[in-house]
Amino acid sequence: MTPRAEIAHWVFASVFLFMGLLLLAEAIVGSEVFRRRSWRAHAWPLLAIAGGVLLWVVTVLSTFSTLHVTAHALWAQAAMIAGGVQLAVVRGKLSDPRWSLVTATAILLSGVSFIVHEQNAWFFARSAFLHHLLGWTLVVATIFPLLHAFRPRRGWQAGLALTFVAMAVMLFADRDVAPIFGHLSPDAARIGQATP
Amino acid sequence: MRRLVALFALTALAVPVAASAHATLRVASPAPQSRLAAAPAVIRLSFDQAVSIGRSPIRVFAADGTRLDGAPRLVDEGRAVEVPVTGFKDGAAYTVRWQAVSPDGHTIFGVYTFGLGVEPPPPTEAVGASGPTWSDDLVRLALFVGFALSVGVIGFRLLVLPAAVPIALERRVHLVSTVAAFAAIDAGVAGLVLRGQDALQLSFVDLLYGDLSPLAERTRFGVAWMVTTVGLGALAALLLLAWVLDRPQLRRPAFVLGLLLLTAYPLSGHQATAVGSGLDERFADWAHLTAATLWVGGLVALAAIVWPLAPELRRAAFVRFSRLATACVSVLVAAGTYVAIDRLPDVADAWETPYGRVLLVKVALVSVALAWGAGHRFVVLPRLERGGETGGVVRSLLCESTVVMAVLLLAAILVNTSPPA
Repeated sequence: MTPRAEIAHWVFASVFLFMGLLLLAEAIVGSEVFRRRSWRAHAWPLLAIAGGVLLWVVTVLSTFSTLHVTAHALWAQAAMIAGGVQLAVVRGKLSDPRWSLVTATAILLSGVSFIVHEQNAWFFARSAFLHHLLGWTLVVATIFPLLHAFRPRRGWQAGLALTFVAMAVMLFADRDVAPIFGHLSPDAARIGQATP
Repeated sequence: MRRLVALFALTALAVPVAASAHATLRVASPAPQSRLAAAPAVIRLSFDQAVSIGRSPIRVFAADGTRLDGAPRLVDEGRAVEVPVTGFKDGAAYTVRWQAVSPDGHTIFGVYTFGLGVEPPPPTEAVGASGPTWSDDLVRLALFVGFALSVGVIGFRLLVLPAAVPIALERRVHLVSTVAAFAAIDAGVAGLVLRGQDALQLSFVDLLYGDLSPLAERTRFGVAWMVTTVGLGALAALLLLAWVLDRPQLRRPAFVLGLLLLTAYPLSGHQATAVGSGLDERFADWAHLTAATLWVGGLVALAAIVWPLAPELRRAAFVRFSRLATACVSVLVAAGTYVAIDRLPDVADAWETPYGRVLLVKVALVSVALAWGAGHRFVVLPRLERGGETGGVVRSLLCESTVVMAVLLLAAILVNTSPPA
């Protein structure tokens, strides 16, 4: 019943791409113009919530390792909570910019989970490299919602948007046993052999 | 037209071409949880990509712990592992424990069982597994409490409170029920991992790469976990959207979904596999669980949400909840008695078996909770209806909730204990 890893990666790459482009559009034209049609304001938080629900499906189909179950469960909750809080901000139910700290926490935990989830070194294989890169990108990107919480600026929103686009590119590029930069670690290459 | 283009783009992105994946076990022969008519000569595990192996990648155990496996070998260009096996006896169950090194460097582990002329036990009863412990009981309690605070609180909102309530109260109802839904999911995940650890017999670090799929996909417990995890995720989304988008009508499907999810436990516990267990018994279990959920959720909602946030609603809410609680308690006692009679065919089972003894303690605690509830119904309610003081009521409600949660702990222990019948 386990879905191919790439299917899950690429579906969520699509979700990240849409969220990133929506956020980027808002950062470029400004919230006042962007939110003239209400669906635009609702779109990315709703995508995050829908992505979270979809991640529960991935969670129950990824039982081939405990690590995958727990990591996907964490991402599902992070996406739903961050999306829910952001939607409440858009709807005017939450007004304090410090609610952006919830998004920051969700992104930080997701990044840490990516790093813990990948137990191999950076250059082991392309998937290992990308998982490290995804994790550290998210950890560093925590700075954008964090800054937005205390000094709201369009630039921070653009930073978060570009982070999501970068995440999409990395997830689209993710293949598990492909070599990285033309090089495949000897450890990764030593497959199909009996060891003493 | 623009919508069509957008729809096409979404579909194209959502259905990409598949490429390679993590190394996972694709086919096992004999199949997990299979019943065989003849003894197999080899055990063969096929993976979706080449793996490397150590000295004992596949260990096969008889029920007494005797090893039956021979020298392993890689076949199919490293994509499959085989071991010859000898010494099978008809009418017995066997355990297969395996490990292999995935191309990404991770050592992956798994366990499953099969039977020769008999139905095999679930992986949780594989050779080496010791069964549920107190940590399983605590996780099960967390799951029940999560359900009670999610489904019970939203049920209280729908069945007891009026349509229009103060904003702060509405917010707390949704906050409590949504957070509780997430807590129930987390408790479920913890429960699966604990069961997996016991079945796989691995250290914490190795458990990270343990294959939980036989447990999740081939046991009633696992299927119930899969259904409730996705269902609770959808429930949490509905509750979140009901509040944020001001769509109170979403609470009804959320409540109905929650009640349906409660059926997963009667269908997956010991009672579902017991000889002679019928639909009536499962329905009684579901009714018992549902009544307890509404009772506990309602008590907590009354004490922690209505009392501090809406003083003007206290009396009306107490009166209406009192009626609901009476109905819940009636169902709880009737269904519990029916199930107890069915599971303890001999009266002496009540004090001679572990199941019976836990049940006796539970009945004693339920009696305390019932007496407390009767006090609220026959002493506090008339006082409130006369417009009397409400001081001390919230403390009393919280104490009753605590007693009922202790009952839930005993229910969790009972679920993890095999009944004598």
